[in-house]
Amino acid sequence: MAPDRSSLSRREYVRALVAAGGASALSACLDAVGGGDERSGVDAPPGTDDPDSLPGRQHAWNGALSSDDDGNVQLPAHHVLLALSLHEGPDEDARETTEAALRTLERAYEWSNDGLVFTIGYTPAYFRRYHGSIPDSVDLPEPVALTDRENPTFDEFDAVVHLASDRPEVVLEAEEGLVGDRETVNGVDVETDLGSVFDRLDDRRRTGFVGEGLPADRTDLSGVPDSVPEEAPFFMGFRSGFRESQATEDRVTIEDGPFAGGTTQHVSSMDLQLEVWFEQDNHYQRVSKMFSPEHAEGDLVGSVGERLETTNGLSDERIEATAADARERGVVGHAQKAARAREDGEPLLLRRDFNTGDGDRPGLHFLSIQREIGEFVRVREAMTGADLDVPSANNGILHYIFVNRRGNYLIPPRSLRSLPPADPDSEREPID
Amino acid sequence: MLALAGCQRTDGESGDGSEPDPEDGDDSDDDVMAVPEVVEVEDPPDAVYVPTHREAMRMLEPIAAGDLRLAPMLSYPHPFWVIAGGGGSDDEVQRVDPDDGRGVHMMFTLWDDESGVVLPIDDGTQLRISRDGEQVGQPRSPWPMISQEMGFHFGDNVSLPEDGTYSVEVTIPPVSTRKTGDLAGRLEEGVTATFEFVYDDEFRHEVVGGVEYLDEEDWGRRGALAPMDHGGGMEDGDHGDDMGGDEHGDGHGHVDDGHHDDHADDSHHDDHEGHHHVPYSALPDVEAYPGTLLLESRADDRPEETADLPRSGDAAFLSTVTEPGFRLADGDERYLLVSPRTPYNRVPLADMSMTVTIERDGEVVAEPTLEQILDSEYGLHYGASIADVRADDTVTITIESPPQVARHRGYETAFLEMEPVELTVPEVQ
Ligand code: HEM
Repeated sequence: MAPDRSSLSRREYVRALVAAGGASALSACLDAVGGGDERSGVDAPPGTDDPDSLPGRQHAWNGALSSDDDGNVQLPAHHVLLALSLHEGPDEDARETTEAALRTLERAYEWSNDGLVFTIGYTPAYFRRYHGSIPDSVDLPEPVALTDRENPTFDEFDAVVHLASDRPEVVLEAEEGLVGDRETVNGVDVETDLGSVFDRLDDRRRTGFVGEGLPADRTDLSGVPDSVPEEAPFFMGFRSGFRESQATEDRVTIEDGPFAGGTTQHVSSMDLQLEVWFEQDNHYQRVSKMFSPEHAEGDLVGSVGERLETTNGLSDERIEATAADARERGVVGHAQKAARAREDGEPLLLRRDFNTGDGDRPGLHFLSIQREIGEFVRVREAMTGADLDVPSANNGILHYIFVNRRGNYLIPPRSLRSLPPADPDSEREPID
Repeated sequence: MLALAGCQRTDGESGDGSEPDPEDGDDSDDDVMAVPEVVEVEDPPDAVYVPTHREAMRMLEPIAAGDLRLAPMLSYPHPFWVIAGGGGSDDEVQRVDPDDGRGVHMMFTLWDDESGVVLPIDDGTQLRISRDGEQVGQPRSPWPMISQEMGFHFGDNVSLPEDGTYSVEVTIPPVSTRKTGDLAGRLEEGVTATFEFVYDDEFRHEVVGGVEYLDEEDWGRRGALAPMDHGGGMEDGDHGDDMGGDEHGDGHGHVDDGHHDDHADDSHHDDHEGHHHVPYSALPDVEAYPGTLLLESRADDRPEETADLPRSGDAAFLSTVTEPGFRLADGDERYLLVSPRTPYNRVPLADMSMTVTIERDGEVVAEPTLEQILDSEYGLHYGASIADVRADDTVTITIESPPQVARHRGYETAFLEMEPVELTVPEVQ
C-alpha cells in the first residue's frame, strides 16, 4: 500500500515508498521525483552492453562511487535487500536466466551512485540445500547468535540481492524489473527476469537509507526523537565509514580457490533505542560511547563528526588504551573497541550499513563484507568487549542496539554470481 | 534554598475517576496528574543527603525468571542521573528529566531465589513493552540504579501512549561477573520473564497521591531515607523514624536492623501481608565479615557499623584482610576484601574500578588489582588474593572510576570524586 503523501515531506515520502516497494510505490515515486513517468520509467544514466567493462568483483563499488568533501567513499543513499527463495534446485536454465536478468540491470543503469550498484549473495543454507555442502574453500559458516544478549532469527532463504542507488526510483524500478513486475528498466526491455527461478520473500524484504539529513527526516517514526541532529548521516548522530577505518576492497577479497575475487557478507538487523541515546545521555557521553572518552575530553568529533575527515581519529595509542579507559574512565567507545580487531593496523571489515525505518521503527541494517566470516566474528567479539572491565551501559553502544536477525552470505565473483555450485572447480554436479 | 521543579501538569487531581479519552494525546485534558509537583533540595552537599520526600510506588507480584526472581515496581516518571565516567568532567554525569508526564518510572529488583542475593550488576538486561500484542516503543536496556528507598535496582522512565494494560518482557543475560560461594557456576543461562500492569487514573492517584513530604528541616541533611518496606507495598504507614544519618554521620537509629536486615541467609521469607518478600540489596554489616578490618589509623577503634567505616566520596569502605587459605583466596594466600557501600543503607556500589598499593616501611610491596566479585555470603565486593601482608602495612585503595550506576535523588552528588582511602593493617590473623 502506498504511503500517505499529505503528512510527509518529499524526502520522507520517497523513502517511505522505497520501504513499501511494489509497482504502485514505483509509480508514486516517479511522480514525486519528477524524473520520468510511469510508462517510460526512470531517467538515469544508462549502463553498458559490454559486461567485460565491469569489474570482476561484484563488490567493487568504491571505484565507481562518489566521494564526500573529505574524500571518503559515499555510499548510495537508498538501499533494498531483496530476499529470494529458489522454486526448485538450480539447473543450467535457471543459471542462464539469473545471469540474463542481472545483465539486464547492468545494461540499464550506470554502475554508479546515480545509476545502480548491486550484488547477489548466497547463504550457507543455499549451498547445503542444493549442493549438499557449504563451499570449503571459503569461510562461510551458518549464522549463529554472537552475543549473550541476542536471540536472532537467521537468514535461511537462498539469496539476497543488495540494490543501491542515490535515486529512490532506481532501486524500486530495478527491483520490479528483476522480479518481472516491469517491462522496462531505465528504458531497457526486460526480456528475462528472476520470477521463473526465485520467489521474492516480501516479509524478508529490507530497505534503508544513509546520508546527511536523511535520519533527521524520519522523526515521523515513533522512536525517532526530534533531537536527531540535522546533518547526521546515521540515526545515532555521527558520521561513519571513514576511509581509514574501512578495509579496502582488496583486503576483503577472497584470494585463493574457485571463489577468488569474491567476498563474504554479514547482514545483521537491529532495533535502535534513540530516545535514551539522545534524550538521556548528553553529547559528551555519546561521543565517549561512540568514539572514545578521549574524543569527548578533547572535543575531537564536533557535533556529528565534522571535525574528523578521513579517519575516526583513533591512533594506535588510543586503541591500545581501551582496556585502561574501561577501568580508569568507566566507559569505552564503540569505534575504539572495534578497532582493536585491526590486523597490522588494517581494519578487517568494509562496512556498508544503512539506516532503516522498516516496520515503522528506527533500526540499522548492518552490512559488512570481509574475506572471511570469521573476521567479522572477531571484530564483533572486539565490539562485545567481554574482556573489558566496563559496565554494560558504558560499553560502547551496546546499551542502545538490539540485534534481531543475522545472515551470512558468499558474494561470488561476477563470473560465478548466478547460482554457483559449492565447488565450481569440480565437474558441474548433476542437475536435479 | 528551595526550588519548584518538575511539575508536568498543574490542573490538579480530581477524584471522580473518570476515564481519560484514550485517543486523546493531549495531556492537558487529563484529570489526574501523572507526575507530582515536587520540591527539590537546591544546593545539596557532595554527599548522601535526605531528599524532600518519599516516592510512592506500586509493587507488583514478584515473578520467576529461571533461577531468578524479579519484583516489578512502578512509580511516576522522575529525574535520575546517568553516569559515564564521573571522576572528571561535569559532562560525565547527566540529569535525566522525564520528557513528558505520561508514563511510568519502571523498576525491578532482581535476585537469586536460592540464596536471596540481589543482583547488583548488569550484563545487558532488556525490556520489551507491548499492549494488545502490539509493541510499544523500542526495546530498551534499563539502567542499573541505586536509590535510597529501593537500593540497587534496574529502572528507566518509560513513556506510555495511553491508558491501558501493558505487558513487559524482561530478558536477563547470563551473569558474567565472577560468582563465588553458592553462586559459583550458577546463573549462567539467560532468562526471560513477563509481567503486566495497568496504567490508569487509579495508578496515577496512587503514586502521585502517595508522595510524602518529610519535615522541611531534614531536607538536604546528610543522611538517607530508610529502605522502603517492600513487603507492605505502598501502604507504608509508619514514617516516624524513616531517615537515618545526621551531621556526624554516625547513622544511629536510621535503619531498623531487625526489620531491614537483609543478610543473604535470612532474607528469604514471606512477609506479613501476603506479598512475597522482596529483598533489599543491603550488604551484611561489619561484624559479618571475616578477617582483620583495616583502619584509618592504628589508634582507631574498630568500627562497629557501616556508618563508622572510612569514607571516600561519602561511600563507606569496609576492607578486611583474611587469614591464609580463605576460600576466596588463591591457595594459601590471604584475601583482601573491599566492600564499598552506601553509608546508611549498605547498598553495594557496583561497577567501580580500584587498585591497591601495599606499602611496608615506605616501600611498595604489592599492587594488586581488585576484581569485582559476587559472593553468596558477602555479596558484591572487590577482591584480590595477596601473598604477603603484615601488621602495620599501609594499604591504599585508589578509585580509578567511581560506581558507574545511575542514581536517584539523594545519591547523585555522592560517590563521584573519590579520594584514595589510606588504611593500615592493625594485625594479621
Ligand atoms: C547502530 C549500530 C552502529 C553504529 C551507529 C556504528 C557507528 C560507528 C561509528 C560512528 C564509527 C566510527 C567512525 C568510523 O570509524 O567509520 C564506527 C566504527 C566501526 N564500527 Fe560501528 N557502528 C554500529 C555497529 C557496528 C557493528 C554491528 C559492527 C560490527 C562488528 C561495527 C564495527 C565497526 C568497526 C570495525 C569500526 C571501525 C573500527 C576501526 O577504526 O578499525 N559497528 N561505527
